[in-house]
Amino acid sequence: MLRRRRFRFAILALLPTFAIFAWVRMGPIVQTMNLSVRDWDLIGTNRPFIGLANFVELFGDSLFLTALVNTAIIAFGVMLLTIPTAMVLAGLIHYRTRSRFAGFYETSVFIPHVVSLVPAAMAWKWIFDAKLGPLNALIVSLGGSPQSWLFDPNLALFSIIVLCSWQALGYAVLIYLVGFRNLPTSVYEAARLDGASGIQAFRFLSIPLLKPITLYVSVVTLVSGFNVYAQAFVLASDSQGAPGRQVRVLVLDMLENAFRNYRVGYAAAEAMVLLLIVLILTGAQFALLREKGNSK
Amino acid sequence: MTKLASLRSALCGATALAAFTLPTVAQEISILSGYPEMTPFYERVAESMKGDYPNLTVNVEPITLREHERRVALGLSSGLEGASVIELSTSTAGRYVQAGLMPAAPADISEFVSDPANFGQFFVDAASYDDTVYGVPLFRGQGALFYNTRMFAEAGLEGAPKTMDEYTDYAEKLTQRDENGNPVVSGWSLRLSGGSQGIAEKWWLILFNHGGTLIDEVSPGKWRAGYANEAGVKALGQYLDNIYDKKTVTIEMPSDAEAFEREQTAMFIRESWVIGDIAAKAPDLEYATAPLPVGSIALPVNLYVAGDGSTEDMQAAWDFAKAANEPENLVWLLENVGWLPNRTGVDFSSVTDEIEAFSAFVDYPEDYTFFTVPSIAVIEDLQTRLAAKLTEAFANPAMQGDDAAIMAFLESAAEETNAILKREGLLAE
Amino acid sequence: MTRNQRKATDFMIDVGLVLFGLLMLAPLLMLVANAFKSPAEMVAWPPTFIPANPTLDNFRSVLGETPLLLWIWNSLSFAIMSTIAIVLTSSIAGYVIAKFPFRSINVVFALFLATAIVPFEVYMIPLYFQVKDLGMLNTNQGLLIGYLVMSFGIFLIRQNVLASIPDELIEAARIDGAGELWIYWHIVLPLLRGPLAALAVLAFFQAWTSFAWPMIVATRRAAYTIEVGLALFSTGYTVDLGKLSAASACVLVPSVVAFVILRRNFVQGVASTGMKE
Repeated sequence: MLRRRRFRFAILALLPTFAIFAWVRMGPIVQTMNLSVRDWDLIGTNRPFIGLANFVELFGDSLFLTALVNTAIIAFGVMLLTIPTAMVLAGLIHYRTRSRFAGFYETSVFIPHVVSLVPAAMAWKWIFDAKLGPLNALIVSLGGSPQSWLFDPNLALFSIIVLCSWQALGYAVLIYLVGFRNLPTSVYEAARLDGASGIQAFRFLSIPLLKPITLYVSVVTLVSGFNVYAQAFVLASDSQGAPGRQVRVLVLDMLENAFRNYRVGYAAAEAMVLLLIVLILTGAQFALLREKGNSK
Repeated sequence: MTKLASLRSALCGATALAAFTLPTVAQEISILSGYPEMTPFYERVAESMKGDYPNLTVNVEPITLREHERRVALGLSSGLEGASVIELSTSTAGRYVQAGLMPAAPADISEFVSDPANFGQFFVDAASYDDTVYGVPLFRGQGALFYNTRMFAEAGLEGAPKTMDEYTDYAEKLTQRDENGNPVVSGWSLRLSGGSQGIAEKWWLILFNHGGTLIDEVSPGKWRAGYANEAGVKALGQYLDNIYDKKTVTIEMPSDAEAFEREQTAMFIRESWVIGDIAAKAPDLEYATAPLPVGSIALPVNLYVAGDGSTEDMQAAWDFAKAANEPENLVWLLENVGWLPNRTGVDFSSVTDEIEAFSAFVDYPEDYTFFTVPSIAVIEDLQTRLAAKLTEAFANPAMQGDDAAIMAFLESAAEETNAILKREGLLAE
Repeated sequence: MTRNQRKATDFMIDVGLVLFGLLMLAPLLMLVANAFKSPAEMVAWPPTFIPANPTLDNFRSVLGETPLLLWIWNSLSFAIMSTIAIVLTSSIAGYVIAKFPFRSINVVFALFLATAIVPFEVYMIPLYFQVKDLGMLNTNQGLLIGYLVMSFGIFLIRQNVLASIPDELIEAARIDGAGELWIYWHIVLPLLRGPLAALAVLAFFQAWTSFAWPMIVATRRAAYTIEVGLALFSTGYTVDLGKLSAASACVLVPSVVAFVILRRNFVQGVASTGMKE
């Protein structure tokens, strides 16, 4: 009786939230799946079922494949740049917790993560500018030759990776800091008594102990890397005096197909590919964690 | 009440001066534009309508062209709210007209547009579909060469280049270099990067002047890539020669109107709006314009009306499109914005006499030819994909001077173009 | 290691960290500096870092030519509404899932969590058509529909309820005859103040910095959020970097200040995302 009443409250309390979820999340996700096997030109009422034709075409579409490769390079590039930097940085910040600048360290690393994307990307666009930017000014003053950061296909990708890493770093550092704070101090004490240096302790204690955190941050960074869009949009934004190379990424290609080429079904198929990638990455994370749990 | 309303709409249909029947009701229309520099013009047109429409509010909503096209696509497919005047090029508007999403012009507007005293046949056709008028012609995008006369004089050059070969020769002489031989001021600014599609559009113009075209209408409604040929090889070859052989321009150099205004390039091809832009941003620049060797693009832009506004508001929107074509407004447009009005029988001499630069757009040779972007839905997809390929070609020094390699590249690109046409059932077999 | 050596290392580390921190802030500082430059100085080579002749012209013309304040207002009201919605839905759902151990509820929870994996961009297009069908394009409500709920928020509250609200407390209230809603409102919510504040800050910044969604929902100038307004910022064919920097600075400075004030809540919120596993 009591249980019944409680159950009723639980259901009633959950219902509004669940309804919203169904309406703004699950519904659209199902619809994306549905659209991905259809051909729809946005203005017609006809949405014929065409099976997997969209997917077949995607894997022969050079623009999509370019976007896929670019996005993957960006996502993995950001991860490879961010994770080691974040770990070392968090280690140092943790070590200097009692420094009077500790608050500054945390804030300065974290601010890029919270500022609006567009102004930040604008700042970087100027920094990377081949003719006006301070980066080339620095290179020239050091005796190097100026680079066309936003025009060369490889450098343009690199520029986006730098921008994304700049933004992602703060989050990773923060998670690592939590990790460092939760590490058992006794182990470090023991290591110190055995004469291990700080670097040795970091190398042989922190890195292995923080493995679960590394795994988690890596996946989060990767997944958000696969959703890169605004950074590419702004860095190559079509201001005609100083354009940059359009780095085609998945979300950009998807939106272009949907709203510019009027191929909504095709864009939905792209979205499904994106979903699949994210599912595989998340699945891999769980698998790795479980494996670790078993080996213990 | 209903009787009164129907009486009103009857009156509206009957007379262009419909506003007089509704002197006190607040009215509202929106102007959706893809050219932010047109804003003062539309505001001026709105002002000029105050006499006929004292209670009309006109919201001018300009954004960049791409975003504008997207909002129109989304807006029209879902039904626009209120009465909107939509500024669209013929090529973009075609699919909406064909899908029945744009209403035909009312009788009085249709009459105004079809009158040969107002518009040439080319522009009437561009605003019509199946002999029905859907839009009101306004202005057109037409290209010409802009060149810096001071730099030309310093290089000992008199007058503009007259053949495509001369363009490269001139560019070589005009390029200013640093001690290492790297260009600091480009001789001829080419569109080599930027938001995809524009690259293909600019290349098309060069291609056209070499005798080719991007896609060819082989039979009515059936198309085929028209650049995997000698003209294509020459056009792409010219780009590559300028980048890698003559080194008159590099990909990362400042380009386009901004570079021209800052004297970072000696010449470039662009539409007439640059004249207005120069007047605003670099009034002291010494420059002149010249027609291109063979011909130019002429991309007509029309005003359409769509939305679910009241009959009165819709009529006001149509009257706005018509008022935009009032001679005094058009003269103002040419003088202050620089886009070329399409209406005939208007005396623009006060502007063209005073601003020499317009002559290349108005007084072109007898045999000058024009082409326009076809009104097919895939044209943007097609250009975006070609642009992606061209970008790679521009970055490939190995192809320079190797006509066979250029041809092979063009053939593979044309294959893709034809495949897209085929997908949409538009390919000429 | 001697005491002195140790001190020296610490000093070196501090110097390194301070330099790194400044490097992280440099792009933003340069952006603010650019806002005060004249057009001529903007294109000067080599670039300057501190404006030679600081001018307020950029700010004046930006505020005069663009509805910058309206865009900021749009972003602000959208972010606040989204924060309220997320805090409300997350707190009740998180509490129920933590304290009402029914099998069916666990299934619902699994579903909530599963959708967290799906990137917003995947289902953004169908969601757009839903908003369109409701006639909510170009409205704050339309924007809000994409940001009503947050899977992570539910998870965060659930973890906190499990960790900090003992069953005995709720049982005691029930024995005293309190209704379930009363318990939630008067006992649970006050105890969750900390995590709710953290969640609120997270939700606020999530909406404030959103880009792809407002980019398609808002197509009228008057409906832009500040992010979209800045991205499409142009007056004709050329972008004026000085003005753009001024506009960006107008947005940047308040959000950085807000962050510095709310830092603790924020750090707590973000740090708790790391407890997922």
